[in-house]
Amino acid sequence: MNIVITVGIFVIATMLAVAFFHYSLNSTSVAIIYILAVMLVARYTNGYVPGVVASFLGVICVNYVFTYPFMRLNFSIDGYPITFVAMALISGLTSMLTTQSKKQNQILNEQEKLLMEAEKETMRANLLRAVSHDLRTPLTGIIGMADAYLADSGRLTEEEKSYMVKGISEDANWLLNMVENLLSVTRIQVGGTRVNTSLEPLEEVVSEAVQRLRKRLPQARVQVQVPEEFLMVPMDAMLIEQVIINLLENGVYHSGAEKIDLYVIKEDKEAVFHIRDYGKGIAPERLETIFDGGGTEENQSGDSHRGMGIGLSICKTIVNAHEGTIWANNWEQGAEFVFTLPLREDTGDDK
Amino acid sequence: MTNRQTILVIEDEKIIGSYIETILISNEYKVLRAMNGMTGLSLCTSHHPEVVLLDLGLPDMDGMEVLQRIREFSNLPVIVISARTQEREKVEALDSGADDYITKPFGAEELLARIRTALRHRLHAGQGQKQEPVYAKDELVIDFERRLVTLQGTAIHLTQIEYKLVSLLARNAGKVLTYDYILKEIWGPYADMDNQILRVNMANIRRKLEANPAEPHYIFTEIGVGYRMLE
Repeated sequence: MNIVITVGIFVIATMLAVAFFHYSLNSTSVAIIYILAVMLVARYTNGYVPGVVASFLGVICVNYVFTYPFMRLNFSIDGYPITFVAMALISGLTSMLTTQSKKQNQILNEQEKLLMEAEKETMRANLLRAVSHDLRTPLTGIIGMADAYLADSGRLTEEEKSYMVKGISEDANWLLNMVENLLSVTRIQVGGTRVNTSLEPLEEVVSEAVQRLRKRLPQARVQVQVPEEFLMVPMDAMLIEQVIINLLENGVYHSGAEKIDLYVIKEDKEAVFHIRDYGKGIAPERLETIFDGGGTEENQSGDSHRGMGIGLSICKTIVNAHEGTIWANNWEQGAEFVFTLPLREDTGDDK
Repeated sequence: MTNRQTILVIEDEKIIGSYIETILISNEYKVLRAMNGMTGLSLCTSHHPEVVLLDLGLPDMDGMEVLQRIREFSNLPVIVISARTQEREKVEALDSGADDYITKPFGAEELLARIRTALRHRLHAGQGQKQEPVYAKDELVIDFERRLVTLQGTAIHLTQIEYKLVSLLARNAGKVLTYDYILKEIWGPYADMDNQILRVNMANIRRKLEANPAEPHYIFTEIGVGYRMLE
């Protein structure tokens, strides 16, 4: 391959040089054409060898074809030796420089790829670990309660029975949300940076999310507010609904208080979603890492299977894929999750 | 209940099938069950059920095909059972003749409400398009003859298009109407198929009818599919 490229470039260069020489009889310009050829060879081939070979070839060609005596090697003409040496040096150096920078580029690229790969790998490992932990706990509850029911249904009081079935139903519902979360991840295209967005009315997405949450957690008291102005936001509605549901659910389970505010504000070029609860807030040392998945083990609330490890990290993945940002902070009372979605400039307002 | 209504359940999952059957029987319906599309179709022709519940994922044939075959000889209400996250499938089923859909997993209340809606709309269709002259729910009253919409007793001013939209939804209360269906009904068959204009109009209606547009009480959104009005 290298040989083909080198020969090809040299043939073209020679043809050009012949044409040029035919008109001007100036061998210096011809030398420059060859230097250019050497640079091109160095750029488009691998390793040092082709570049160095090309520079020698160039010097010989110029000497042999384009300087008097034509068609013969002669290094003894006045002044010419310097030209030749200079040409050899220039072409040799450029070829070496190009090759080197090319190599460095390649190394950098490879390192970057390795890093990205490693990052993806850790993300996947984290997710899988969190998934198996978060799935196993409610499943243990479901299986345990169902088994107990089947084994002792004769001795259980009606009250105990309904308590157990209620527990099964709660855990199953929680599992359902988990599965929907995992499903939603598959909607994000490979690479995790792009989603298919379309313009969706903000209020419709918010209201559907709240409706779905209420269906599952009828006890939740959510207060919702959206901008009076009609706002279309580019997004994958299913995914953003999932984010809203996760954050609301997180608020209900973790805050210890059932009252939650959800309000959306339009700021400059983005829609800002606030989900605020009035519970015990987030431990300050967890604020930074709360979206990174895992961390469910240290959960001090007794109800540890309600860990939102996966839920929150999925929120982050989804919001980032929309080119938005997500963060958490504490208020005097309770915690607040905020995420933003960029608005497209030509829509939503001014129209 | 002297004459119990028959419901045909075409569903291959045994547990889900039995679950549906239990709910329906305890609510005084007669239930026929089919585990695959072919049996479903033959039961449909031989027993003339009042409503069909059709799961789209069947072992022997595509649920969509079952739907189309049923539509060849009957316009009985078909409620499609589908899995979440497949809006396209829902829209396709609705646009090719399904009356409604229900998403897995669903609760007993939701299922019964869908069936009641389907039966009621069938009743109206049977009476030769005769519709109730008024839609009244909670604070909202729509008088179709006088083309008057009132909320808490005060008249609401709606534009021509907005009134058409609200009355279309109200006449089909409880049933989901797809974007395409609504666009065709209101803007005609040659309308630009972009649903943006529909959604802007819906937003305006929401601001006139709902106390809080983010928590609608009368008109619900099913994103990616369409709208459904409280019944």
